[in-house]
Amino acid sequence: MNLRSLRRRVTSHIMGALCVVAVLVALVPLAFILFFVVSKGIGAVNLDFFTQTPKPVGETGGGMSNSIVGTLLVCGLGGLFAIPIGIMSGIYVAQSAGSQRANVVRFAADILNGIPSIVIGVFVYAIAVSPFRQFTALAGGIALGIMMIPLITRTTEEMVRMVPNTMMEGALALGATRSRAIVSVVLPSAAPGIVTGVVLALARIAGETAPLLFTAFNNRFWSTNLLQPMSTLPVQVFTYAIGPYDDWHRQAWAGALVLITLVLICSILARFATRRLERMQTGQ
Amino acid sequence: MSHILHRSAVFTSCILKIIHMIMSAQPALDSRATPETPAGKPETPAAVIKLVVKNLSCYYGTNKAVRDVTLGIQEHRTTALIGPSGCGKSTFLRALNRMNEVVPGARVEGEMLLDGQDILKMEITGLRRRVGMVFQKANPFPKSIFDNVAYGLRIHGGKGSQLESAVEQSLRRSALWDEVKDKLHRSAFELSGGQQQRLSIARALAISPEVLLLDEPCSALDPISTARIEELLYNLKSTCTIVIVTHNMQQAARASDYTGYFLMGRLIEFNETRTMFENPSKQETEDYITGRFG
Repeated sequence: MNLRSLRRRVTSHIMGALCVVAVLVALVPLAFILFFVVSKGIGAVNLDFFTQTPKPVGETGGGMSNSIVGTLLVCGLGGLFAIPIGIMSGIYVAQSAGSQRANVVRFAADILNGIPSIVIGVFVYAIAVSPFRQFTALAGGIALGIMMIPLITRTTEEMVRMVPNTMMEGALALGATRSRAIVSVVLPSAAPGIVTGVVLALARIAGETAPLLFTAFNNRFWSTNLLQPMSTLPVQVFTYAIGPYDDWHRQAWAGALVLITLVLICSILARFATRRLERMQTGQ
Repeated sequence: MSHILHRSAVFTSCILKIIHMIMSAQPALDSRATPETPAGKPETPAAVIKLVVKNLSCYYGTNKAVRDVTLGIQEHRTTALIGPSGCGKSTFLRALNRMNEVVPGARVEGEMLLDGQDILKMEITGLRRRVGMVFQKANPFPKSIFDNVAYGLRIHGGKGSQLESAVEQSLRRSALWDEVKDKLHRSAFELSGGQQQRLSIARALAISPEVLLLDEPCSALDPISTARIEELLYNLKSTCTIVIVTHNMQQAARASDYTGYFLMGRLIEFNETRTMFENPSKQETEDYITGRFG
């Protein structure tokens, strides 16, 4: 009897210890990545990095101002395409939950989510780059948008489904049409979750390189023209990282650091916005 | 001795009431009155059947939740529907403003008439404007107290100062005004459960429904909040026809004029509440009311 309880206690402690080890192992890569990126990148981050465009090959110095703005623009374009489509299809799936149609759409979203990003890049190249014989920021935005759609669809669906049905019924019972009830009651309730989902999707695609290689391509010069090639941080980091010059490598690290920081700021803003929205609703 | 005297006085007044009813009944009402129409109370106008339900059956898929129910709901009275869980009383209630259409696979058979108009043929937003509903669980919208009450009004085109006075009036009628008048623009989620339920009632009242359906409105409330809501319902009778589903037999006895007892989708008995509780005509009703069943 005593032996058995001892054995149980020992097993419990061992399993607990294994879990702690697993957590540590999971956190180690994150710590190392941050450490490496910061230590290698911080040296090359200076004012020039944010204000200047790349110098001609062979000259040192210069910056990635065009890539930083490009990343914001291309991601913004992607959001512009994906947010309305993702939210609306998420609502559709949530509202027809349990039906065959909903299952088909959800399954399709999951498949789209699983498609390798390089394939999406090639696909957009075929439909939006090749016919016009021109790499464009617009095509990059489309590629990133396609990647964001399933993420936003699934988050929206989950958030809308979490809104109690009684709220929808309350609006219907007052004579609201279904669409009005969704827009005026269900969506505001789900808004904090949807905002988080959208921002996390943005953060996730901000670092995508492969879909941009064939679409937005790259640009050594300052450009905000959406119908021209545009530089983005991930592609610029890629280009510099595989380049032969030490100065490029330093700048690549700096670019990676800026990219990570941007994503981090995004996540923090999302938290902030979500809390604010929640507070507006619950009034605390 | 005085007992017998009292009895005979009650009897005489009953006879007088019946005579009065026969004399004052308009021909148009005859076809709409149900056989069980009891005499109205003296302080309210003569009994009119607001809602007629004939042979109503409700289905969820192949499951028949309400079976062949026929009854008449009196204007300016409170009608309570009682019965064990799953007996179809909520389904019946939801059929009255077609809220059951929200459930996929739900359908109804039979006839429902609101002031003689076929409910199943009415335009749905118009129907729900006339037949309001309060649910079991308070369901405030994620909006301010004011916007919650104004929601229905805005749907039906209300705006400006007209909104403000209507909101105030509804909150007063639901006995919530004094508690919330200083925080109309705070979130409705800040209110307590009982206040939220009164807010739901205020929201329903704001669009001046002719009939108010309540689906176990007090089941999640403490006795004090319950008493406030019952008092509220009593005062609403002057402007509304009330149908309330309740699990609480004392509540049905206290707060209603008529009671219907449902069992397994059938309406077993429908009568004046007093008669129902003091002298039910069916054995099943008596078993349920006395607690031998359910």
